[in-house]
Amino acid sequence: MASIGSNSSVQEADVAASRADIVVGLVSYNDVGTIGAVARALRDGSTRYFPSSAVKFVLADAGSTDGTREAAREVVGPSALVEVKYESGPALGALAYHGYPARAEALRAILEAAQRLGAKACAVVDGGIQALGPQWIEQLVAPVLTDGIDYVSPYYLRPVNEGALTRSIVYPMFRALYGVRLRQPAASEFGCSGRLVTQYLAADFWDLEQVSVGIDLWLAVAAASGEFRICEAALGPRVAAARGTAADLGTTIAQVVGALFTDMEHRVDFWQRVRGSAAIPVFGTASPIVPDAPSMNTDALMESFALGYRELREIWTWVLPPRAIVELRKLTESGPDRFRFDDRLWASIVYDFALGYNLRVMPHDHLLRSLTPLYTGWLASFVLEMRGATLEQIEQRVEQVCRGFESEKRHLISGWRWPERLR
Amino acid sequence: MWAQVDRILRQATSQTVDQIANFLPGVLVSLTLVLTTFVVAIFARVLVMRALRGLEVDRRAEQWGLAAAMAWPTPTSLSQTIARVVYWTILILGLLVSLTALNATIPSRLALSVFEYLPNLLAALMILFVGTIVARFLARSVLIGAVNMQIQSARLLSLAAKWLVQLVAVAMALDHLSIGRSILLLAFSILFGGIVLAAALAVGLGGREVVGRVLERQFRETPRGDDSVKHV
Repeated sequence: MASIGSNSSVQEADVAASRADIVVGLVSYNDVGTIGAVARALRDGSTRYFPSSAVKFVLADAGSTDGTREAAREVVGPSALVEVKYESGPALGALAYHGYPARAEALRAILEAAQRLGAKACAVVDGGIQALGPQWIEQLVAPVLTDGIDYVSPYYLRPVNEGALTRSIVYPMFRALYGVRLRQPAASEFGCSGRLVTQYLAADFWDLEQVSVGIDLWLAVAAASGEFRICEAALGPRVAAARGTAADLGTTIAQVVGALFTDMEHRVDFWQRVRGSAAIPVFGTASPIVPDAPSMNTDALMESFALGYRELREIWTWVLPPRAIVELRKLTESGPDRFRFDDRLWASIVYDFALGYNLRVMPHDHLLRSLTPLYTGWLASFVLEMRGATLEQIEQRVEQVCRGFESEKRHLISGWRWPERLR
Repeated sequence: MWAQVDRILRQATSQTVDQIANFLPGVLVSLTLVLTTFVVAIFARVLVMRALRGLEVDRRAEQWGLAAAMAWPTPTSLSQTIARVVYWTILILGLLVSLTALNATIPSRLALSVFEYLPNLLAALMILFVGTIVARFLARSVLIGAVNMQIQSARLLSLAAKWLVQLVAVAMALDHLSIGRSILLLAFSILFGGIVLAAALAVGLGGREVVGRVLERQFRETPRGDDSVKHV
């Protein structure tokens, strides 16, 4: 595996001269349009909610050329801003789904700065967020300082067209594997305690090949699988500016689901012992108004699924049992009114792909990308079912999906322990 | 005269018997060699099989993704394939050596020429093997990529990619074996030149509108439907 190492260097004079109770990490890359507003909201929030705490802003910029750093300096001021430099490396390979080059190195540099500053709490925020309120800093940091929470995960209000991959695979599988009902485990923002910062920096995932795409998820997993207290912070809707050309769906699935499957291989002993899942506290109350979702072309999604079934069925048989293939065939023959992906079927399909990933039945990239049409099928089914649904109804539906994953977990454990039975 | 006939007959018989007597040990040695080779080949096969199983080669090959890259699912494992190759190599070499023991000019020359040709043959086989792996890998990549791009003729593209690479591998292997070099070159020039010319004519003259419609249907008329979706 390729090692990325760490080459962060905090401005030593600044660090030595002061210490901080709270560190606010800003991750940016050509975000001149948003970084000023983000920094201002965070600065105002820290002044309003933590007037007696020493707050430092740590900027990890991936080499912006549009004046992002200057804009951040102007708002925060030189006394409160620490800029960290790190090895961002050449932009080779596929673009990361989050559109941020060397994100893992940036996060590591922020965490190292937080440790050196002796921070009790650290919050990380993406510099590309639009419409960020001052209360965000309170929501991400206050649970750590006042309630002894170690990891604060954001909970965003998302309409049906947002976070489908999280709702269909990442959250249900994360919950079934690690027993924690963390609804958005791959979010870019988070808050954490100084204790967890130390744990993060000692973790072994920084040298893994997929760290730049999997880091957000892996930080959540590290918190969930350790002896740490976790909560969610209701932050309302999340609107982020597009950062460069977005990765295509196949690449996004390969990166996000690949990161999840890779992590599974490293924590086998832990997740095989976990049974069921536990709810976690939610801090704050966000506006119940969910932004309207634009209409989606479900016919095209279903067609994409049908094309996948027609052409990739042969590849799917490498990992899926005949029963699943028969169910998928029935689905291709259904009209929009009856097109519904059964939750347990979906869970068993994802688990079978995880087993195939572990057994290396074919190159990982092929296996993960071949999941794309199945995901579009699930998405079509979900959108058809959730037309006009409220946020609560969407949450209830996702809850059912999660139960499907929890009840099928025994199939995953048995396949993992006795892979020969699958053949 | 009868005496002369009798002498010639005796002489012929004696020569034949002598030749048979000279030839028989060679046949005997040859048969012994064949039998020994057969036994050695079986032993080697069993030994190789056990050694590879002991080293868990099949499991390691799966871990490295080698087994997956080699072929679509087959009933034979990697260790079985290697053991078979060892078995047949020993058997063929033994048969060739046994031919030289016959002390006959043609079989000996045949054996020698085969031995001289062997490196080329092995290189050609290696080219074919690698070509096949690359062709299958590429075919699957193209198929999955094309399906994810909503291209209706994904299978056709995949097959085209596969056979293109496979044909190039076969041509390289044959070239290495010095078989029909000029014909091969000519055939390839005609084939690829023909394909390019036909495509150019189809697009430029005959079916410009048809091709335009087909391309439009492939790339524009089937949007995925997730344009407004934020997946993660």
